[in-house]
Amino acid sequence: MEKMTYKEKFIQMNKEAKATWIVAAIIIVYWFLSGFGVYAVWGAEWTILGMPAWFVLSCFGSWILSMVLVALMVKKVFKDFDLEEEDIGKKEG
Amino acid sequence: MDVFMRMAPVVIFFVILLGMGLYIQKKSSDAKAQNFSKEYFIGGRSLGGFVLAMTLVATYSSVSSFLSGPGVAWEKGFGWVYYASTQVVAAFIVLGVLGKKMAVIGRRTDSVTVIDVIRARYHSETLANISAVVIIVFFTTTMLGQFTGGAQIFSAAMGIDYTAALLIFAAVVVLYTTVGGFTAVAVTDTACAIIMLVGMCCLGYAVITKGGGMENIIATINEVSRTAVESGTGNNMLSPYSESGGIPTIPLPLYITQWMLCGVCTLGLPQSNVRCLSYKDTKSVHKAMIYGTIVVGAMMVGMHMLGTLSRGVLASVEGSTDTVVPILISQYMHPLLAGLTIIGPLAATMSTISSLLISGSSAIVKDMYLHHKEVKKEAVDQKKVASISLIVTAIMGIAAVAIAISPPSIIVWINMFAFGGLQTAFFWTLVLGFFWKKANATGAICGMVGGLAAYCVTMALGIKISTFHQISIGIVVALVCFLIGTAAGKPTDDETGRLFFPEKY
Repeated sequence: MEKMTYKEKFIQMNKEAKATWIVAAIIIVYWFLSGFGVYAVWGAEWTILGMPAWFVLSCFGSWILSMVLVALMVKKVFKDFDLEEEDIGKKEG
Repeated sequence: MDVFMRMAPVVIFFVILLGMGLYIQKKSSDAKAQNFSKEYFIGGRSLGGFVLAMTLVATYSSVSSFLSGPGVAWEKGFGWVYYASTQVVAAFIVLGVLGKKMAVIGRRTDSVTVIDVIRARYHSETLANISAVVIIVFFTTTMLGQFTGGAQIFSAAMGIDYTAALLIFAAVVVLYTTVGGFTAVAVTDTACAIIMLVGMCCLGYAVITKGGGMENIIATINEVSRTAVESGTGNNMLSPYSESGGIPTIPLPLYITQWMLCGVCTLGLPQSNVRCLSYKDTKSVHKAMIYGTIVVGAMMVGMHMLGTLSRGVLASVEGSTDTVVPILISQYMHPLLAGLTIIGPLAATMSTISSLLISGSSAIVKDMYLHHKEVKKEAVDQKKVASISLIVTAIMGIAAVAIAISPPSIIVWINMFAFGGLQTAFFWTLVLGFFWKKANATGAICGMVGGLAAYCVTMALGIKISTFHQISIGIVVALVCFLIGTAAGKPTDDETGRLFFPEKY
């Protein structure tokens, strides 16, 4: 748990929100490439466990990628702080 | 005997849910005596990471994730699973973007509902009232849709009358929501989410064994797709879109708008983002982002993939594809397992209804009644608040059930607008409200009204740009109106600025 002023919390939260958007954007790009992209190149010929590779890579891939990226983001970017006000006296930070 | 075995797991589950509701009602009575609405509508801001994740996902995944979606996947194939997989972002995006800001500001302003937060940000009674009406209308119609959907599955699976099925399962959900409040909703949602996953695994096992193993199923799907493409009468189940012959699976623009409707814009759903006010600490929200992503992905990809694979078991269905899952459960599963599995879609329904019910009731009690008292500076008696809250919740639930017995077509029709309508109304109001200091009340009102009007009119008249879903029109119009209104309106005052954007000072 880090001690932060009200202002510092907001700077941190803006950073976290931005990271969330970036992670979402990466997932969307990956989703398009692994689905439509793989299908455009290999069609349904390439299979993984019998199922079309584009399907496995896009659906399971996006899911696994989301879990990995979210876990990384929470670890690296997100910070623990007190959600309650502890610095009411100097709220202008 | 079969009926008995089918009924047993469901009855046990219902009893457990009711028990949870009653237990929580007893346990939280001290906290409720002090600040009833905070405890009843938001669970006293005490949710941990696991429960937060589960209640978010369970509320989000509704009867359509368990019936309609997999049914369409049975017909359209892997493309529809790809289409549904956009929902992997639905759990972390709302918590990551809005989660902490809503929590911090919610604590500072003592907000219990999304409308409390909107009121604190924009200081507009008009905006707050429009928001309350939007929430009440769309929540009630969605609830009705869930009630009818749930009752249909329940009656089909148990072989009982529709009305009887509706009354039994509706009584359970209305009762535990009313007596237990938000905490009961969150805890029962968790139980529901777990049983949904269990049901999904049971169904998966049944589909794969009855289909003669994965190899056989895939061979059938290949065969079906080959005939479909050659004859030009079906769609290629192996392709995200059919480029040669056959009916196109899903047009590309629809995939793009799916990323809005069931991906990014879900952060505007009040039933989702109200959960940002309910958790305990930053550790909880961090954990919930991870758990939520795991569970929502497993459910959405899993259920829809099962739908596609079930093509290897069921070659054809009569009527709507919505019947695929109920047929699989009732005809291809051992009665006891069928009883266990049928809880999955029922749980999906109940967990959505309970959250809509408690949030809808909060819009009336907190945003209208208590706010009115506050404006008039009248003291409120916590006991009176308690009884009013219980009564409003119960009446809302009972009214919805009564209408669901034979739903008028207007309700079914409004329900079509509900999901996208809520997103159109609240997406920019919250995102710009929290991240753009210049956003003001005029902008928010213009955005909400303009966006909703554009969305509902285009939906009602079936106007589309190419094959993009109308959510794209709603969201874009809402943004444009928001920006124009903001330019015309008064700038954010300093006090609000310091509260919402301390980094700018």
